[in-house]
Amino acid sequence: MKLSKIINECRLETIVFCTDCEIENGYCGDLMSDVMAHAGADCIWITIQAHKNSIAVALIKDIKSIVFTNNVTVEKEVIEKAKEEKINLLRTDKDSFTVCGEIYCLMEAKTAKD
Amino acid sequence: MSANYSKEKLTLVNELIYQIKVKEAMSKKVIFFKENTTFRKIQLKLKEKKISGVPILDNVKNIIGIVSIDDVITAFDKGYVDNKITDYMSRDVITIPQNISVVSAIHKLERFGVGRLPVTESSDSKRIVGVITLSDILNRLLVVVQSIAEKVEDKEIKNTQISHDLIKHIVKKRLRFEVKGDDFDNAGRVASITKKYFQNLGISKDIIRRIAIVCYEAEMNICLHSLGGSMTIQVNDNNAVIYAHDKGPGIPDVELALKPGFTTASEKIRALGFGAGMGLPNIKHYADKLEIKSSLRTGTELKAIVNLGVKNEIK
Repeated sequence: MKLSKIINECRLETIVFCTDCEIENGYCGDLMSDVMAHAGADCIWITIQAHKNSIAVALIKDIKSIVFTNNVTVEKEVIEKAKEEKINLLRTDKDSFTVCGEIYCLMEAKTAKD
Repeated sequence: MSANYSKEKLTLVNELIYQIKVKEAMSKKVIFFKENTTFRKIQLKLKEKKISGVPILDNVKNIIGIVSIDDVITAFDKGYVDNKITDYMSRDVITIPQNISVVSAIHKLERFGVGRLPVTESSDSKRIVGVITLSDILNRLLVVVQSIAEKVEDKEIKNTQISHDLIKHIVKKRLRFEVKGDDFDNAGRVASITKKYFQNLGISKDIIRRIAIVCYEAEMNICLHSLGGSMTIQVNDNNAVIYAHDKGPGIPDVELALKPGFTTASEKIRALGFGAGMGLPNIKHYADKLEIKSSLRTGTELKAIVNLGVKNEIK
């Protein structure tokens, strides 16, 4: 599913939008080591951790899109780093549980249709 | 043509004229007439299309004769240019079947001194499916030679890439990084640079990911739990060795530290999403071999090995 579709349907705020990549799966986690161990490449990552290390983890794991939940503050340097590394940054005031649910339903519906 | 063959090596072209079939080279658009036409009509068509002859076909496109420019001139000469061609056209027609190699077409064109050959569906059929001239053959030959040349070019580009990689491989620079304690802003730097370095070596994605995870966790451990240290990444023929060395304070119980969930991280570190007690277990999981030596006096030495897999052993 195209990232743009997820952004529209879940009404996510775009902080950095570099490429409208194809999203195959997702991962939700706030522990860096957990994400390092379990997130798949090209997934959409839902987290409350909006610091530079999140970008580093995304980069290492080939994660192209991050959704920050609970409307966390995203520092300017995080945005700069994401632009530099071409990682999409999105934000929402909803909590992780709600956003995961929405994205999950969206992707399930797509799979069912296919 | 054959008499003037250059003595130079023509092997490729020689080979190709045997490989290319008449049907690949012929033009499928055939200008033809039925036998109830006149020489004058044919003459106008020859002039319009700048061709030297036309086949005469019946209702099912079987060839029954041919009228060449010579025949038209004779008709003018003898005064029957407005007559129907039926009684004058030559019925002895030289054709070529479509499934034969163009070398036969070349021989036939030479032997009979004609500029074009009507192409039949097969050797025992008179149905016309195309027409072939020397320039059709030449065109086809050029197209084939061009595509061969392109393939050779591609191969050459690939070869230079491979040798480039080999050179890089031979240089085998050790990567060495200083890692500061408590420096969260730069954390992840070693893993990112290492990942890019390995990508340039053309190692498989899966292996690179494992190396990157090991580097990241080792780097974070130095950053989160020590007074600072250094990392070295050494590339060997069939493995990558990641060394992480810190200045202390050392791990009192290595066995315990390897247990998932065990952590000594502060509240501040955990709030950032670190210190979940998964760093060392992750390294253990993704590395093929892990050795940890720790002393409360000199600090911790970690050595992790990731095998590069079959692909690189072949190199």
